[in-house]
Amino acid sequence: MEILSVENLCKNYEKFALKNVSFSLDQGFIMGFIGRNGAGKTTTLKSMMRLVHPNSGTVTILGKNFAEDEFYCKQKIGFVLGGVDYYPKKKLKTITNVTKRFFPEWDDEKYQSLLNRFDLDSEKRIDELSAGMRVKYSLALALSHNAELLILDEPTSGLDPVSRDDLLCLFQDLIEDGEHSILFSTHITSDLEKCADFITYIKNGEIIACTDKDTFIETYRLVQGPVEELNPNLSSKLIGVRKHKFGFEALIKTIDLPMVARIEVSAANLEAIMVHIERE
Amino acid sequence: MKNLLYKEFKLATHPTTYLFLSFGLMLLIPNYPGYVGFFYICLSIFFVFLTGRENRDIFFTVSLPIKKTDAVKARCMMIAIIELVQILIAIPFAFIGNSINPAGNLAGIETNVAFFGFVFMMFSIYNIVFIPLFYKTTYKIGIPFLFGGIAFGLFYVLVEMLVWIPSSIQTFLDTTNPAIMLQQIPILIIGIIIWFAVWIITYKKAASNFEKVDI
Repeated sequence: MEILSVENLCKNYEKFALKNVSFSLDQGFIMGFIGRNGAGKTTTLKSMMRLVHPNSGTVTILGKNFAEDEFYCKQKIGFVLGGVDYYPKKKLKTITNVTKRFFPEWDDEKYQSLLNRFDLDSEKRIDELSAGMRVKYSLALALSHNAELLILDEPTSGLDPVSRDDLLCLFQDLIEDGEHSILFSTHITSDLEKCADFITYIKNGEIIACTDKDTFIETYRLVQGPVEELNPNLSSKLIGVRKHKFGFEALIKTIDLPMVARIEVSAANLEAIMVHIERE
Repeated sequence: MKNLLYKEFKLATHPTTYLFLSFGLMLLIPNYPGYVGFFYICLSIFFVFLTGRENRDIFFTVSLPIKKTDAVKARCMMIAIIELVQILIAIPFAFIGNSINPAGNLAGIETNVAFFGFVFMMFSIYNIVFIPLFYKTTYKIGIPFLFGGIAFGLFYVLVEMLVWIPSSIQTFLDTTNPAIMLQQIPILIIGIIIWFAVWIITYKKAASNFEKVDI
């Protein structure tokens, strides 16, 4: 079942625009929303949540139009920009005590078990939590009001490798029941390698790919070879060419693979794909 | 709305608000301009917005399942409550102050019925300038406070002038004579009506400004 659908989301600023952003996510999956800094990831997420006013477009959560059923949709979403960074001097229990009043489906037992699971002390202040713990606390809040869709903006930014891995494993645990889904934006491609089922790639405010991760990676190959092989026909197919003293290196779509003996072809990973696409 | 008000008082209210509420005590000070104590509440309202910005209150609030306009309404209601409480706290001190300073207030208007009517009007003026101006951006706080403070100050000067310039108005306003204070009741009622009507306009204008803001 489709938990999230974004159709033709547009937002115009003076020097930047989201152009017809569309993608969808089914229940029980993790989607990585990838793009370089300033590509429009946060603007897209904020437009989806109507924190910024999109010029046009529709966002549907579990079949309901977000603009028309904002209250219902917000009950079903846990939205986190980074980690919890509001009211840093307040204790967790104070924030929770305020937050839970707004959610009729709030489950205190679940909240307590999540605090235990994440090793969170409700007597601590927000600013006493590490970046990873802040994300976990926001997840605890979201899951306790039975949010089915978690929208997280760069949740792994600033985390050490161990905390990142810990969090990514947690994401995978969360979706195992088939009811929860996660959309998280990041520019850390290794996060996506580890846990994303689907990739949505945004560049300069436009979605340039929205597919399952394996297909996305299989779409591209890395090629390298001597500069002499760079004829106009091949050059037109290469993406993000980088020349160096030993030759060139570029990305190419798998369907455009050249049959040239002197060109070395290898599998691309997400980071290489991103670097070459952004170099273009 | 009940939950949002709970949030306002539990998270957003700055501690100085509770301290400044007690500044009704300043009405006990002999020969002191009585309106000054009430400006402290305007200052505490400024602090609420200032710390709200630093604590990312707006992001927290609009992430909750509420309407954006209700976030503004709850804030406006919180302000109305603290203004009313400030006035209620001040009333007994006005009585006590008048009884322990029988010579009257040489530094301005006597703390009488008309005085409280003017306080309501001052709060109205501050609210309608400061609050909608803040919700135009949700991050610029100094300029709205400056304009709100100037508007409050200009009205303060105007009403104080009424009791400084010798006239029948001065005689009518600058007294604690019970018989005249009874005649001042319409000023108090007009003050309350203006305060309430301006509160509604302030909320609507602020909510409309906030609707247009990208967070």
